[in-house]
This record gives sequence, C-alpha cells and structure tokens, in this order.
Amino acid sequence: MVAAMDATIEVQGVRKRYGPTVAVDDLSFTVRGGQVTGFVGPNGAGKSTTLRVILGLDAPDEGTALVGGRPYRSLRTPLLHVGALLDATAVHPGRRARDHLLWMAQSNGLPGGRVEEVLELVGLASAARRRAGGLSLGMLQRLGIAGAVLGDAPMLLFDEPVNGLDPDGIRWIRGFLRTLADEGRAVLVSSHLMSELEDTADHLVVIGRGRLIADTSVRDLLAAASKDQIQVRTPGRSEAMTLLANAGATVTAGDRETLTISGLPAERVVALLGEHGLPVMEVTQHRASLEEAYMELTRDALDYEAVALEEA
Amino acid sequence: MPTMTKPGADRQPETDGRDRFGRLVRAEWTKLRTVPRWLMALAAVIGLALLVVLIESDQAGNEVEEGEPLEEPEFRDELHFVHQPLSGDGSITARVVSQEDSHEWAKAGVIVKERLEVGAPYAALLVTPDHGVRMQWGFEHDVAGSGGGAAPWWLRLTRSGDVVTGYESADATNWQQVGEVDLDGLPSTVEVGLFVASPDVVTIARQYGSNSVNEAATRGEAVFDNVSVEADGGSPSPGNGEWNDYDTSVEPDLGGSTESDGVFTLMGAGDIARNVRPFGDDLVELSLSGARVGMLAVAALGALFITAEFRRGMIRTTFAASPRRGRVLAAKAIVLGGATFSVGLIASVVSFLGWQANLRRTSRTPGLPELSLANPTVLRAVVGTAVLVALVAVLSLAIATIVRHTAVAIPLVILPLLVPSILSGGLPLPVANWLTRLTPAAGFAVQQTVTRYDTAIAPLVGLGVLAAYAAVALGVATMLLRRRDA
Repeated sequence: MVAAMDATIEVQGVRKRYGPTVAVDDLSFTVRGGQVTGFVGPNGAGKSTTLRVILGLDAPDEGTALVGGRPYRSLRTPLLHVGALLDATAVHPGRRARDHLLWMAQSNGLPGGRVEEVLELVGLASAARRRAGGLSLGMLQRLGIAGAVLGDAPMLLFDEPVNGLDPDGIRWIRGFLRTLADEGRAVLVSSHLMSELEDTADHLVVIGRGRLIADTSVRDLLAAASKDQIQVRTPGRSEAMTLLANAGATVTAGDRETLTISGLPAERVVALLGEHGLPVMEVTQHRASLEEAYMELTRDALDYEAVALEEA
Repeated sequence: MPTMTKPGADRQPETDGRDRFGRLVRAEWTKLRTVPRWLMALAAVIGLALLVVLIESDQAGNEVEEGEPLEEPEFRDELHFVHQPLSGDGSITARVVSQEDSHEWAKAGVIVKERLEVGAPYAALLVTPDHGVRMQWGFEHDVAGSGGGAAPWWLRLTRSGDVVTGYESADATNWQQVGEVDLDGLPSTVEVGLFVASPDVVTIARQYGSNSVNEAATRGEAVFDNVSVEADGGSPSPGNGEWNDYDTSVEPDLGGSTESDGVFTLMGAGDIARNVRPFGDDLVELSLSGARVGMLAVAALGALFITAEFRRGMIRTTFAASPRRGRVLAAKAIVLGGATFSVGLIASVVSFLGWQANLRRTSRTPGLPELSLANPTVLRAVVGTAVLVALVAVLSLAIATIVRHTAVAIPLVILPLLVPSILSGGLPLPVANWLTRLTPAAGFAVQQTVTRYDTAIAPLVGLGVLAAYAAVALGVATMLLRRRDA
C-alpha cells in the first residue's frame, strides 16, 4: 500500500552524457513533500534530462534517482506515485482530450470517472471531446497537468508548465501548484525564468551546464541577496552619492530621491549624511527580487566557468 | 479550485501481474480506437479487398474454361485396365514383354483394385522406362523394387485377406518381394488385371508476368504375356476367366487393348497418383488477392502505431505510465494483431464470397461447382489470410520500433513482401522459389489451395516463415526498447 509512502524525490550523483555532450554532471538534490521546489537553469542546462532520469526514461551513466525511496522503473502503478508533465504537445493530434487521459488511466487501473474529475480540476471539462490537434498551447498545458494529477500522486514533476499560458492561466497554475504542495505533495517545477517562480516556489535548485549551482530555500536566497544593501531617501541625492562613494560604498540611484547603497553599514551611512547636513527621510533594508538573486547566482557561476576556462 | 484528496489516501490495492497486463492491453486498445485515421486504415483493408474482388473477378470469370471444375479431386486415377474378378485369396502374374518409352514415369504392370470406380483403393506393381520396378498404392505410396528391373520382367501380386504383396522376377523362377500393403476392408471379390498409364508431358515458358504452360497427353503402350490369374483352393473365377476393358485415360481415344494368343497389348494415357494440379489457377487464392493491397494499409498502421509516439515524444508518457517496456510492446502487438486479424477475416470472407458470387454471375459456364467456406482447405486459406494480415501488421510494428521512422519502416516491411512475387516471374524457378521461401513473402503461401508446378512452400510452413520474421523482429525491438533512452 502507498499510504505510508514518503513523498521525497532524491537525485544522487547523477551524470548523463549524450555522445560527447555532458548533459548532467554529478547532480544531487532532494525534493521534499509539502513544498514547491523550483528547478531553474537556462535552456540546455540539463533540467529536462534530469526529469527524464527521475522518471526512468533515460538511464543515467552514474548515480541514482529515487522516488519515494524506490527507482521509478520498479513502480508497478507509477501514476499513483509520481505524476509528470514533460511536454504538453506530446499528444496525438487526432485523439480527443478525454481519450488521451483515458488510456493513461486504464494503463494504471484507474477508473474512467477519474478522467472527468481531473478535466474539471484543470478547467478543461468543456474541451473534453475536442481533439488535441485543435487545442491551444495553453489548453494542451492544462491537459498535460491533468495527466500529471490523474493518479493523485504524492510526487509531481512539471517541466516548464507555464509555457503558453495566458496571464489568467499563469495565475491559475501558481495557485494550483501551491495547493498541491499545501496538501503535502512534493512538487518539482522546472523553468528557465526565475520570475515565473516568484511567490510560488519555497525551495530552489539552480543548475547551469548540468551542474548544481544552488540548492537553497527561497527565503535564504533572498536574504543573502538582500544582505548589506540598504535604501535611503534623501533630497540631496547627488551630494549624498559623491559623499558615500568617496567613503567606499557602491551607490546606485533609484527613482527620484532614493539611493541603493552597499558596502557600508546603515549606521555609518546615516552618520555620514548627518555630519554633512543632508536630511535622511527614510532608511530601509533593500529586498532583492528573485530574479536579481538568480542573476547574482548565475553571474557567479558564469564567472567561475570563465575562470575555470582560463585556467584550463 | 477543487481540491484533491490527500496524497496516499484511498488508494487502490495493487493487483497481480496478469491483471496489470490486461490494463496495458486495454490502454493500447483505447489508443488505437481513438485515432480516426487509424480506424479508417482498418476499414480500408476491407474496402480495398472488395475493390479488388470487383475488378478481378470480372476478368477471371472469362478465363475459367467451360466445364472446368473449380474443385478437383485430390488424386488422378487414369489408366487402361484389362481386368477380371477374383474371389477370395489368389494372385495375378504376368510378364511385361516390352514398354514404350512414352514418359520416364510411364506405368505398365499388374494391379488389384477394389472395384471399377475412380478413386477406389488399389495396389499396383509396375515397371517404368526410367525408374525401375515400383509398387504403389493409395495414390501416394511408392516403393522401389530391386533396381534394374525393366521389360521384359515378371510381376506378381498376391492377395491374402486384406494384404496384397508384390513380387518381381527376371526369370519366373527366383521371385523377390517388392512390398506389402494392408488394404483395410478389401471386399472378398476384387478386380485384378493388367494396366498401362503414361503421364502428361508439360512444357513451361516463363516470362515476366506470365507463364505459358503446355500440357500434352502421352500414350503409353506395353505388351504382356504369360498372364495368369489363380485363386487359392481352386475356387472358380466369377468371370469365367473372361477379360474386360476398363478405361479412364485422360483422353479416351488414347486408351485401348488387343489380345491374341495370350499376348496382350495395352494402351493408356494419364497417371495414377496424387493430383498436383500443377498449372490450373488457384481460384481461392485469386479471390483473396485483395490482401496484397490491404496489406499496405495494415503495414502503415502497424508502423504508425508506434512511430506516432516516437515522433511526438508521447512514448515518454507511455513509458512513464508503464515502465515495463517489453510488456507495452507486447500489449501493442496483441491489440494491433487482434484488430488487423478481425478486419482481415471480414475482408477475406467477404472477398471469397463476393468473388464466388461474381464469378457465378459473370461466367457463362453453367454448373460451376460451389466452393464452400466449410471446405477445410478453403477455410485454411481464408482464415490464414487474416492471420497473414495480422502478422504483417505486427512485423511492421516491430520494424518501426527498431528504426523509429515511418518512412524507413514501411518500405522495409513492404518491399520484402512484394519484391519476390514481382521478380520471380523472371527468375529461374528454383531461384524464384528460394526467394519466396526465405523472405516474409512466404506467408502468402497460406492462400494456396492447390499445389502447382511453381508452388514454393507449403501453406502453413510459409505462414510460419512470416511468423518467424515477426517474432525475431519483435524480440530485437523489445531488446532495443529496453536498452535505449526514451
């Protein structure tokens, strides 16, 4: 019975090569239940390869991937354990939306009524009898998501689920992913755009060129990226910029009266401005966006790559 | 947004493996039936078969010669027979003085025949121009004598109960047994006597697309003397020793006999043997020729059933739902095979019946005998055609799984099936026959209902060759499917 199954996806030391290209290189991370884990990296970073390895579709050259402590290929009714959306367009265009879900349900012994339930769940009930070839990309994404949740699985993988969705759809999928995680499921969502995961992901796994760049909670990442940056509002902005720059701070001008300062502690900034008679109207800790934090991370990674290349 | 149940709650218990395989078969059947084009391909098998029937049977109706029976007996029983009855045990002895070399298998000798009727059981002891002394019975049994036996030669058949024994001798002193046969249920009075037969001479000219066959009767002739019929225990001959003529020669004016002073000269044309009907059209096979066209639709369907999944990446959804890939392929093969067998069976039954009906309508020949589906040979061809269609589909599925591209798979399936029949007309017969035996085209043999001079392989053996190709291809496909990344 599956009731006691733990909803954890573990990737350990996975390495996968396609010919001379190393797609994934010694990658390890864990996806836990009750969280949305963002799986982020630029196109070609190895995200889809990793998902295929987790699903037992591609065999890794080294390492293991376990779902609920077991290799995927050992599952006898895998849809009840792991639901996955890999490619929303991987549907025969001549087949009706409902029939596409029906064969999936039958293959895992799920009742046909479950198909109607998940179509309702993703808002496709009215398109159930339409052929896949006539569905928009957004509708195909919903169909793919319906397929992923068909088996009511405790572990879910979504590869770029936001692609092709309209703003309404994007809002919907964010809420949907959150609900799934709040129910205790492990949800892994890949994306090449960090901004798509803003306000959705609890945890991030960032990869570049097949290697792990960061495995961190969103809160820690933002805190790290925001650390030692403060925002100051002052009417004497240009004098303040010169002053602070001379004192060794890095200063960038924001809108109208704000400055973003790093490299100097807040007390020192306030004291300096006070000494020179510049009024300080507001001092706040700067809150970095996820996108900024990601840029910082990947910049470091790219610098590292550049250094490594030069040394080589 | 509707919420879902808590993970892990309310799950169905896992069931045993056989049940799970049943699920796979159901899922694959859903895949097959929910793509309208695939259903159209299945319907096309029936449609194309019917079309071929309409076109071909009109022509065939004119080709069937007047009075030519559609159903022929399994044997030929053509001879000139000079006979008298023999009651109870006894023997017939005669010397073949000379024999015309009308055919290497021309026959002259003595015979015990149950009664004067075509097909009645017999045992014959005979000499031939090129194959020595033979003892033959039941239209297919043939035992060679001592070798070197040729006219002039002494022959004797004795009857004891149901057992007939043949002896030969060069000098009427030293007799040597040739063979012995138990003719079960032989009546107490049988017909014994002398006979002569001589098979047709056949010449064949082969050209691309057509074979012209010339069959000419030959006239056998042999001279006998020292003819004696002896009943054991001296019981009187029911015919008072009087000889009578019985002739079933292939052309009646070629048969005949003369007798003077105990020297008999017999003439006859034909053969006493299994009927190989080597040159007649196989009307059942012709009626099923639509399968060759329908096969194209089936081969395309078989390939698409898997390549459609490869092309769009749907194979990943399939293997994510069912990681045991060998079972997926097996389920696909069963569903595809079952569906194509069903339409193939409908197509071949309808073709056969439609052909028969059309032939009857268009042929001016009265009294064509009815060929029935209940005839086991016909049934084998009709059902075998459906199996043939299903095997082509499964072969195509397997090849397409190996090469993963529709455009590569379909020619790989179709060409070996069609090329032998196109080439064979222009090749020497043994080469053409080996080409047919060794390629998947051997499967078409299952449509044969007569054995012809150019028959390459027995019906079920041919089907077996095709099945072997399909099985090997499936095995390779399974291995590759397991090994390769999806």
